[in-house]
Amino acid sequence: MSRRASGLKAWFLQRASAIYLILFFLYMLLHFIADAPADHAAWQSWVAQPLVGFGLLLFFASLLLHAWVGIRDVVIDYVHPTAIRVSVLTAIGFVLIGCALWVLQVIILAHVA
Amino acid sequence: MKVSVYRYNPETDNEPYMQEFEIEPRQGMMLRDALLAVQDQDESFTFRHSCGEGVCGSDGVNVNGSNKLACITPMSELKEPVEVRPFPGRPVIRDLVVDMSQFYAQYKQVDPWLIRKEPMPEQEILQSPEDRDKLDGLYECIMCGCCSTSCPSFWWNPDKFLGPQALLSACRFLADSRDQAKEERLDNLEGPYKLFRCHTIMNCVESCPKNLNPTKAIGHIKAIMLKDAI
Repeated sequence: MSRRASGLKAWFLQRASAIYLILFFLYMLLHFIADAPADHAAWQSWVAQPLVGFGLLLFFASLLLHAWVGIRDVVIDYVHPTAIRVSVLTAIGFVLIGCALWVLQVIILAHVA
Repeated sequence: MKVSVYRYNPETDNEPYMQEFEIEPRQGMMLRDALLAVQDQDESFTFRHSCGEGVCGSDGVNVNGSNKLACITPMSELKEPVEVRPFPGRPVIRDLVVDMSQFYAQYKQVDPWLIRKEPMPEQEILQSPEDRDKLDGLYECIMCGCCSTSCPSFWWNPDKFLGPQALLSACRFLADSRDQAKEERLDNLEGPYKLFRCHTIMNCVESCPKNLNPTKAIGHIKAIMLKDAI
């Protein structure tokens, strides 16, 4: 195993997640055009469907992974001093993990309700 | 015709400046001819050039914001006033002459020669016409540096990102049926820097005077890597 940060793996994850993001985004767009949820309860029952819930979890997992690779690329390009780079990457990592947990909470709560 | 050139002599100038010259345009005049005409007026003006026909790759310059080979760039294609500067991002030695050592160091990193593991045969190593065709678009590089010095990823990380020129060469040897060091070559390119700083900005394709496509070569290396990894 290399001590370097990933190159091929990050690049592949970014492409693969992009494909899923486009497909699920199109599905959501069509769903909201054809059958937009009228109120909070309708939202909740939509998210509570097992396939939608699973699809949404994958969507946000892809989104956060995609964001991580993209932001990491920007930081590697433009932020050169090591201390600042490590701090920025760590802060972004925490924010993304926080987002992931929040999404998980929302979707689980919708399923429990 | 007005030509404005970048001047900097580190021994006498505190900072670089642009100097304007009036030159007599001629039929079929190339930028190199214009620079020579400038030199006729001020012999201290310095730039590299040699073959004068787009083969040696010595007279790469930045003209009106794009990297070009002066000897094959017709003056008639350039908007006045013509502004000629050294390659961006490279340390200036004098006027249009820049230090390209880092560019050559990156080239050296990709081991730009055939590597054989089997013993060398008595005769030359034969290659089918189809395999030979795979080198087209890769071997023609004259290493003028127009691509790498126009690449923002190379500007930000010139010490770590190999740049389009070196990666085109890496692809040239990966594509060669006679080469036997594919694994080592791929391992050498792994990590976030050497290959993967390329964000397909495609300035390299835009600037290549030989109409080569380093972005495509980089995509090809990524495809070989992926195929090799899974």
